[in-house]
Amino acid sequence: MIAVVVGAGSYGAVMGSWRDPWQAVYTGIKLPLVMLLTTAGNGLLNGMLAPLLGLNLTFRQSFTMVLISFAVTSIVLGALSPVAWFIVYNTPPLAAGTTIKSPEYAVLQLTLAVFVALAGVIGNVRLLPLLRQWSGSARAGLHVLLAWLAVNLFMGSQISWVLRPFIWEANKPVAFIGSDCFQGSFFETVFNAVCRITFG
Amino acid sequence: MNENNPVPPMIPPADRPTPPPVPPLATPPLAGNRPLGDDPAERVAIPHAFAAIEALLRHPRRLMFQLRQPGSGKLIGGMLFVALACAAVYGVVAGTFSGHEQLWAAPVKIAAGLFISATICLPSLYIFTCLSGSQARLAEVCGLLAGLLMLMTILLVGFAPVAWIFSQSTSSIAWMGFLHLVFWFVAMLFGVRFMQNGFAHTNAKSHAGLNVWVIIFLLVAVQMTTALRPILGRSDTFFPTEKQFFLAHWADCLKQQDGENNARGRN
Repeated sequence: MIAVVVGAGSYGAVMGSWRDPWQAVYTGIKLPLVMLLTTAGNGLLNGMLAPLLGLNLTFRQSFTMVLISFAVTSIVLGALSPVAWFIVYNTPPLAAGTTIKSPEYAVLQLTLAVFVALAGVIGNVRLLPLLRQWSGSARAGLHVLLAWLAVNLFMGSQISWVLRPFIWEANKPVAFIGSDCFQGSFFETVFNAVCRITFG
Repeated sequence: MNENNPVPPMIPPADRPTPPPVPPLATPPLAGNRPLGDDPAERVAIPHAFAAIEALLRHPRRLMFQLRQPGSGKLIGGMLFVALACAAVYGVVAGTFSGHEQLWAAPVKIAAGLFISATICLPSLYIFTCLSGSQARLAEVCGLLAGLLMLMTILLVGFAPVAWIFSQSTSSIAWMGFLHLVFWFVAMLFGVRFMQNGFAHTNAKSHAGLNVWVIIFLLVAVQMTTALRPILGRSDTFFPTEKQFFLAHWADCLKQQDGENNARGRN
């Protein structure tokens, strides 16, 4: 948990620092919170899925395993924080004319998301041999990992959606959570965007 | 004596062809693995409902073995009670989407709907499994069905935190309905797998009958959600005033959602 708080917290602080020091503090708290809430929220489900897919873990063990994966992810994020800071430093600062469509915001968003994705992949890849060894079957280990990955991504995306913004929110003051936090869902928004692009 | 009369080695004549292997007279049963109860741990009685949950998740063979024993009625009753309680818990979470009277109506409808669906489908399950060559008694079939319901509902409780956070975030009935159906479908997949493993130990020669039954159960349960609507939205009456098939109901929901989205877009 310390690894999650320190690693993800430092990366979050870098993400938020582009906008405002307070945003840095808030995002530094929110990013570890996403990981911890996802682990806690899916703890029961992950603990059920593991034995059903051939890995006889107790709830406590499965909880610890998922936490280990997030800890590795956070350590990688923590290690990438200086690089992220360098990118933020070189990004044109937030100005009155900055909009959601501004290239600097898009580049920052994309780069920081790629770092999170990379850290997530490393965290899960590190977990796979452990699961394989524990289950004694490569197939069962992979199945458990994929199931955990699916449910954690599903839950984590929505928790991130509720706790947004992480970088910046146009025309809104800096706040811990946006005023429309419980409006819509991540997947609904993606689905509507795809529909708009496809059907106009 | 043996030294004096050594037995000559058996040498098959070279010109005689080897006879082809004789096929078995009947189709072998599906369970190619070890029989239930050969591990002493599987013979340990299941004393209460929590032990049944533990056994279902970690040692399903123990539960299958215990369901075959005389006096398994108490165990089946406990499993059904757990399924009822878990369905009610999930129902409360589903009810938080609309709040108000749905906080009690949704759990009642979900739990009742699941049990009515299972009761309606029990005779067909028994007949189909018998036709598949299964030697399972009715009590054992009831036990495996109770196992399916229990596994489904405890998995739904596992999904409950995810369902809750989405219930609080979205106002789209279509989206929430879709999400609940996905959770229900995933839970059912695991439940059906448990059931198939259970029937494989009853000398069943094919899964075809069980697979047909799964489709019937799926359709009955989905239609039940329409027959007991609304489970997610609000209504003036507890039961619907109009009869509808589930596909027509889903199409109506999507049209309504589309209308709301367009109205929001205009504003």
